[in-house]
Amino acid sequence: MRPVPALALAALLPAALAAQSPQISYTEETLPNGLKVIYHVDHSAPVAAVDLWYNVGSKNEAPGRTGFAHLFEHMMFKGSRNVPDGQHFALLEGAGARAGNDINGTTNWDRTNYFEQLPSNQLELALWLEADRMGTLAEVLTPEKLDNQRDVVKNERRQSYDNQPYGTWLEKMLGYVYPEAHPYHHSVIGSMEDLSAASPDDVRSFFRTYYAPNNAVLVVAGDIDVNQAKALVRKHFGDIPRQAPPPALRETRLPPVIGREQREVVQDANAPVPAVFVGYRVPSQRDPRAEAVEVLGSMLSGRSSTLYESLVRRQGVATGVGTFNTGLLEGADMLIVRATGKPGASADSLEAAVLREVGNVMAGLTQESLDRAKAQLRFAFINGLQTTGGFGGRADLLAEGWTYFRDPNYVNTRVAAIDRVTLADVQALARERMVQSNRVILVYVPNRAPAGAQPRTPGDR
Amino acid sequence: MNRLQTFSLAAALLAAAPAAAQHGTTPPPPGPLRPFQVPAPQELTLPNGLRVVVVRQAALPIVNGRIIVKSGALYEPADKNGLAQLTASLLREGAQGITASEIAARMERLGAQFQTGAGYASAFANVTALKPVFAEALALAARTVTSPTFPESEFTRVRTQSIANYAQLQSTVEGLSYEAFTRALYQPQAPYSRLPGGTRTTLERITLQDVQDWHRRMYSPSNALLLLVGDLTMDEARQMATQALGAWSGPAVSLPAIANPAQAVTGTRVILLDRPGSVQSGVYVGQTAIGYGDPAYFAFTGLSQVLGGGFKARANMNLRERHAWTYGSFSSFSPLQGTGTFNVNASVRTNATDSAVAELVREYRRIAAEPVPADELSSSLANVVGSFPNSIQTVQGLSQRFETALLYGLPLNFWSSYRERLAAVTPADVSRVGQGTLTPNAITVVVAGDLSKVEAPIRALNLGTVEVWDANGNKVR
Repeated sequence: MRPVPALALAALLPAALAAQSPQISYTEETLPNGLKVIYHVDHSAPVAAVDLWYNVGSKNEAPGRTGFAHLFEHMMFKGSRNVPDGQHFALLEGAGARAGNDINGTTNWDRTNYFEQLPSNQLELALWLEADRMGTLAEVLTPEKLDNQRDVVKNERRQSYDNQPYGTWLEKMLGYVYPEAHPYHHSVIGSMEDLSAASPDDVRSFFRTYYAPNNAVLVVAGDIDVNQAKALVRKHFGDIPRQAPPPALRETRLPPVIGREQREVVQDANAPVPAVFVGYRVPSQRDPRAEAVEVLGSMLSGRSSTLYESLVRRQGVATGVGTFNTGLLEGADMLIVRATGKPGASADSLEAAVLREVGNVMAGLTQESLDRAKAQLRFAFINGLQTTGGFGGRADLLAEGWTYFRDPNYVNTRVAAIDRVTLADVQALARERMVQSNRVILVYVPNRAPAGAQPRTPGDR
Repeated sequence: MNRLQTFSLAAALLAAAPAAAQHGTTPPPPGPLRPFQVPAPQELTLPNGLRVVVVRQAALPIVNGRIIVKSGALYEPADKNGLAQLTASLLREGAQGITASEIAARMERLGAQFQTGAGYASAFANVTALKPVFAEALALAARTVTSPTFPESEFTRVRTQSIANYAQLQSTVEGLSYEAFTRALYQPQAPYSRLPGGTRTTLERITLQDVQDWHRRMYSPSNALLLLVGDLTMDEARQMATQALGAWSGPAVSLPAIANPAQAVTGTRVILLDRPGSVQSGVYVGQTAIGYGDPAYFAFTGLSQVLGGGFKARANMNLRERHAWTYGSFSSFSPLQGTGTFNVNASVRTNATDSAVAELVREYRRIAAEPVPADELSSSLANVVGSFPNSIQTVQGLSQRFETALLYGLPLNFWSSYRERLAAVTPADVSRVGQGTLTPNAITVVVAGDLSKVEAPIRALNLGTVEVWDANGNKVR
C-alpha cells in the first residue's frame, strides 16, 4: 500500500466548519475463516494498536445468566493454551503497554471488545496473544479460574454499583424503558445470583458460540506496514476455525413510546444529595433519526443550555445537570436527563423543577442552540481522533463501524451526518418522545443507614 | 497447499521468513524499536513579562492553551481552604462586559472545550479548540483570567456547588479514605494536609471579598505562564499570546516559601472511618515521599511500579488475582513541591478488609526491605517507558507533561530523556530509595468502611495504634 497522509484535512474556515473532518484511511479484507480485518496506517507516533471486537454483548445472554457476557470477558484474561494465567497482562506490560487505557476489555449491551496499544515494534505480540485466546481459550479453562473471576466481578459490581451514590440508576432505568422480555431489560454487570450460577460449561458454550473469527472484527492500526501486518494476521489467525453463526437475537422491536409515565423513589444510603433521573425511550442507533437523538441530547446539556440556565443558574435548585443517550442498537435507545441537587435540599422540589423544565423542552430548541451543539459534537469527534488506540481511538472507531453497521467507513461519515440534522428534525423528535407517557422518573433520596445495618447486596458474603 | 493458494500475498511475503508461517507456542520477540522524539518546546516572553512556552504538534488541527497562574491551594490560608479553587472556578462566571451564560454560549458556539480550576501549585484556564477558531477561544479564556467580574449571585451558586462536590467526595469510601490519608500525613497547618477543593466548613467561611482580594493579589503576568500546544507556529503563537494577554498587567507577586512539615510517625498508625452499611472498604497504606526534582525520582518510580504500578504488579496480583478481594489494587506515587506522598490502595469487600489490609502492609514492608529482582523491575518499568509515546499523542497529554515541568522547576527538556532515565533504574537504586526513604514500621493505614464489621478484625491485626475518626478528621476515640 502506498503511504498516504492518514489524516488529510481540508482547510478549515470558521464559517465553513460544517461537514469537514479528517478522513481516516484504511484497507479491509476478510480471511477465509470469516475474520474481518481492517488496517489503518499512521506513522506520526511509534504506536501500534490492535482492537478486536466480538459481536456479542449482554443482549445475547440467556435468561438467568445476566452478567455472563461481561464475566466471560474477564475469563479472556485468564490464559489460553500458550499463555499461562496472569501472563497476558505480564507480557503486554513488559512490552510497554499500560493496563487501563492501553490494555483492556470492555463489555456493553451490544458488543465486547479487547484492545492493546503498544510500541509499534511489539505489534506481533499483541496479535499472537489475541489469536491464542480466540483459538484456544476453552482448552485451559478451570472451575478455579471461573470462581476467581466471578468473585472479582462481584467486587466490580460492589465498587461501581452497590457502594456508589445512585449506583442503581442505570439498572433501574433499563428495567422500566425495556420490557422484561427485551434483551436490554437488564444491566451489563448482571445480578449477584446469576453470577453465582454461571458454570464452566456455560463458559465453554458461550465461547464456541460467540468467540469465533466469523463473529469478530480485528483492527490493526498505527505505525505499521500493511503487507507485513497482513502476513502476521494470517500467521496467527488464519488457522482458527470458523463456527456456525450465532443464534439470532430474540424480537427487539418496541413501540416508540413506553405508554405511561413511571416513577420510583429510591432511598439511597450512599447518596449525599438528592438526584433526579428522567429517561425517555428514543430511536435506536440503527434508526435514521440516530443523529438527531445525539444532537438533541447535546442541545439539552452544555453550560449554555436552557436546562442548565434555568435549573442551575436561575433557580439554583440543581448543582449540576447533564443529558446523554446510551447509544443502543436494538429496538430503542434511551435519552437521560440527570440533575443533582444541593446539600440538604428536598428531593421533591428538585423533581418538580426538573419536570417543569423538561416539560418546557421546546423553548430550548433554537437554531442557535443547534449550531452550538453541532460545534461541540464536531470538536469532540475530531479531538477523539488524536489517539491511535485505547478507549475511543481511531482503531476503536473503525471497529465500531464494522461491528454495528458493517461499515468501516462509518467513522468518516460522522461529522457530515451530524451536520445534516435540522432544527425541524430535533423538534419533531422532542415533540414525539419527550412526553409524559414516555418518561421514567427516578428520584434518589439520601438515606444513610444507621450504624450496624446489614449489607444490601444479596451476594455479599 | 491450500494455504498457499488462498493466501497468495502472505505466501509471497513469508518467502523471506519461511519459518514464521504459523501461530507459535511462544510469544514472538519484538522487532527493532522505532525512534521517537518528544517535540521540543520553544519560548518567548511578552513585554509585560508573561512567559510563553510553545510545543508544536501538528497531526490534527487542534490547539490547547493553558493559562497557568501560580496561585494554587499551597498559598491560601488554612482556614479558607478551597479559596484558590473557588476563585478559579468563578473565572468563567462573568468577565468584563460578558456574563457567565454568554461565556458558556460563546465557547460552545466555537466548539471549544473550556475549564478552569486549581490544584496545589497553580490555578489554570484550559481551552482546546480547532485551529481556525482557537485564537478567538484563547482570547475569551484570557479575558476570564485577567478581568473576571465575580458576580455575587454566581459566587453563592458556585460555592454551593463546591460544597456539593465535597459531599460527593465524602459519600464514597474511596474519597473518605483518601482525604483522611492526606490529612494524616502532614501536620495540621501544612497545606498538603488539605485537599485543594476545601471542606464544607472552610468553603462556608470564604466570602466574595476573599475571592476578589485573592485574584487582585495573585493573578498577574509576572506570576503566570502561557502554555500553547498543538498545530501552531512560533509566529502564530506570538500573535495569539499578544492579542489575548499582551495588555494584561498586575502587581509584582512574591510567593512565600511554603513549609509542609510531615506528621511525626513513630509506629504504624491505623485510622478508621465509619460508613455504616458499606459493602466495600476503602484502604490506603503509605507515607510521605520525595518531591519532583529529587534525584531519587526515577528510582522511586521504579519502586512504585513494582509494588503497584500495573495489572501484574504485586498488589493487584495478590489482592485481585490471587485472593479476589478487590476489583483492583494499585500504588500511587505523587511527587509534589519539595515533598510527596506514596501509597498502595484498594477498595476491598467488607468481609475481607482485615486480610486485605494485612497483605497490603506486608507487601509494603517487603518492597521497602527486600531487594527487587532485576527482571521484575525492568518488566515493571516497561509499561511506563513503552506507553510514554501514546501518552503524549494528544495535545492535552503533551500539555500536561510540560505543565508539570514548568510548575515543579524541572528542566523543560525533562521529557526528552525520560524514557531512557527510567529504563536505566537498577535494583540497587530501588533498594537505596526503599531503605533510605520508606519507614515500613512507621506507616499510615486508613480504612473507611462499616466499622461494625471491620473494626474488631483490624484491631486484631495489631498493626499499631488505632484511632477512629469522623469524616471531618476529628478523632472520635
